[in-house]
Amino acid sequence: MENQMFEILRYGIYGGSISLILIGLYAALTKRSLIKIVIGLSIVDGGIHLLLIAIGYVKNGTAPIFSPGFENAVDRMVDPVPQALVLTAIVIGFAVTAVALSLVIRLYRHHHTLEIDEIKNLKW
Amino acid sequence: MVGSPVLLIAIPLLAAFMIPLLGMIWKELVRIIPGLVLAFMMISSASMLMYVTNNGTIIQTLAGWEAPWGINLVFSPLTAFLATLMTFMGFIVWLYSYRFKRNVDFEPAKKYFIFLMMLVAGAVGIVITGDIFNQFVFIEITGISAYALTAFYTGRNSAEASFKYLLMGALSSSALLIAIAIIYSQLGTLNMADIASKIHLMPAGYKVTALIFFMMGIGIEAEIFPLNGWAPDAYTEAPGPIGAAFAGIVVKAGVYAMVRMVFTLFDVSGAMDILLTIGLITLIVAETAAIRQEKLKRMLAYSSIGQMGLVFVAFGIGTLEGVYAALFLMLNHAIIKPLLFLSGSQLVFNSKEKLIKEVNGLGKYMPFTAVLFALGSFAIVGLPPFAGFWSKLSVLTAAANEGMLLIIALILIVSVIEIVYYFRVVNRIYFFDKAEDLIPQKPRVNAVIAMSVLGAIILIIGFNPDVVSTVLHNASADLMDTPQYIKNVLSAGQSLTN
Repeated sequence: MENQMFEILRYGIYGGSISLILIGLYAALTKRSLIKIVIGLSIVDGGIHLLLIAIGYVKNGTAPIFSPGFENAVDRMVDPVPQALVLTAIVIGFAVTAVALSLVIRLYRHHHTLEIDEIKNLKW
Repeated sequence: MVGSPVLLIAIPLLAAFMIPLLGMIWKELVRIIPGLVLAFMMISSASMLMYVTNNGTIIQTLAGWEAPWGINLVFSPLTAFLATLMTFMGFIVWLYSYRFKRNVDFEPAKKYFIFLMMLVAGAVGIVITGDIFNQFVFIEITGISAYALTAFYTGRNSAEASFKYLLMGALSSSALLIAIAIIYSQLGTLNMADIASKIHLMPAGYKVTALIFFMMGIGIEAEIFPLNGWAPDAYTEAPGPIGAAFAGIVVKAGVYAMVRMVFTLFDVSGAMDILLTIGLITLIVAETAAIRQEKLKRMLAYSSIGQMGLVFVAFGIGTLEGVYAALFLMLNHAIIKPLLFLSGSQLVFNSKEKLIKEVNGLGKYMPFTAVLFALGSFAIVGLPPFAGFWSKLSVLTAAANEGMLLIIALILIVSVIEIVYYFRVVNRIYFFDKAEDLIPQKPRVNAVIAMSVLGAIILIIGFNPDVVSTVLHNASADLMDTPQYIKNVLSAGQSLTN
């Protein structure tokens, strides 16, 4: 019973992260405001981070460190690799968002608008 | 052997972040240090290429964690060849852009050279790493510096081109991360050799999904068909030497990541046909688009995409000969296309719109640049005494040996299109009259040296293609031999640890 609950929860998290990815994609691809596009990209990133973390989680998980009281907890230790990946991916996502926002500022100064339809010097 | 693989990544990154500090001491260091760093990388990489050719693959384990657990760098004949090519092109781009414009002074030059070094470091990292997540990180380093370099000139529409590039780049890197998540959830490893040895354990559905996400993630740097919308704008709006860096460095890294994945990581049976089909579509779409362009750099960008399509066709043939032809094409493209970008951006230097018709009659006023542009044009369409001929010939031979006659026909038809649009430009340069108000640009000494080195290499390979054949043969054999790659990486614990 408890295991079933855990499995349901796990698939719930998978479903949630996939819907976050889809929401972000929708925002990035259909919204016409530059800021909303950047927000959409960040939501996609968030969804993927959640997905990665969910992959590494185990039931009643503890930190993967041999500390007093946890000498025999090898089975319950969560996989540290996805967490390391997510930390790295968060930093990268931050950098990409920063570059994107600085480009948005540049575009705004040049065109005095954030609407992508009005910025059409190049073909989209 | 000078240096070690990890220095090829560590030194440029360190130097890139030291530049602002060094600039405070003496402003000229901002321009000199990148040259020294790139020269060191080129020499070190070339010497390791020689070592690898004689003694076999160098595997370097980082931080003492051995192969399946830690990150390792693989310096095999293939990766050594590509790393040498990229660092050489990085040096040429530096040489060309050392004081590339009078009005570019200290502050922009600082940013320019920081990002140039990060671009080269990231691209070399993509090629020599043996870990897919590490590769993702390097793809992002390359990507972010490429976005920043695209937006370098504030006057043009560069921010728009850069934002477009960033939008596609960010979405495709998400796809790459999803692919990594799928692989890790199924196999529990991130090491390429370990994945390659365990990939048969993965259910076919997951495998195909992961492969598709991977292709979406890497295809953007490799300029394959549906993902190359950024390329024409980025090449047009970025500074000329950066167009050369994209064609010579970034795209090559993307192609490497793509073929390493298809040849080594995944054993999906139809993957070669996917490469072949994607390559053909890219080739035809890009070349037919190139002929309609009115801006010179945009035409060169479409031609660059088309050449990458041809590279994928050659890889997709799937035989050793096909891989040899593809690597030969990559080498030639990495040398010829930057020459075209560098000399082309000199030709349209003083024109407002950078249109093809603005190069009219410049042959008399800029003789040296015009000759080099013509040389590049003849080489890239594959006229006999130049480098491009031998690579195109080897693609056709490889296809003929497999009986792919339709592909040969298509390549030849596309070559005719290529000849039409390149010769149109050369014709304008030499046989039209110059517009009254256009001032010819006199190239600087460093630009002349950079371009003539590339021109000389085109002639050397053209008259004596055997100079590169050993390296290319080793590299193509290395790419085809997956079991040897796995063995090299997973049993390397003892060899070169630090």
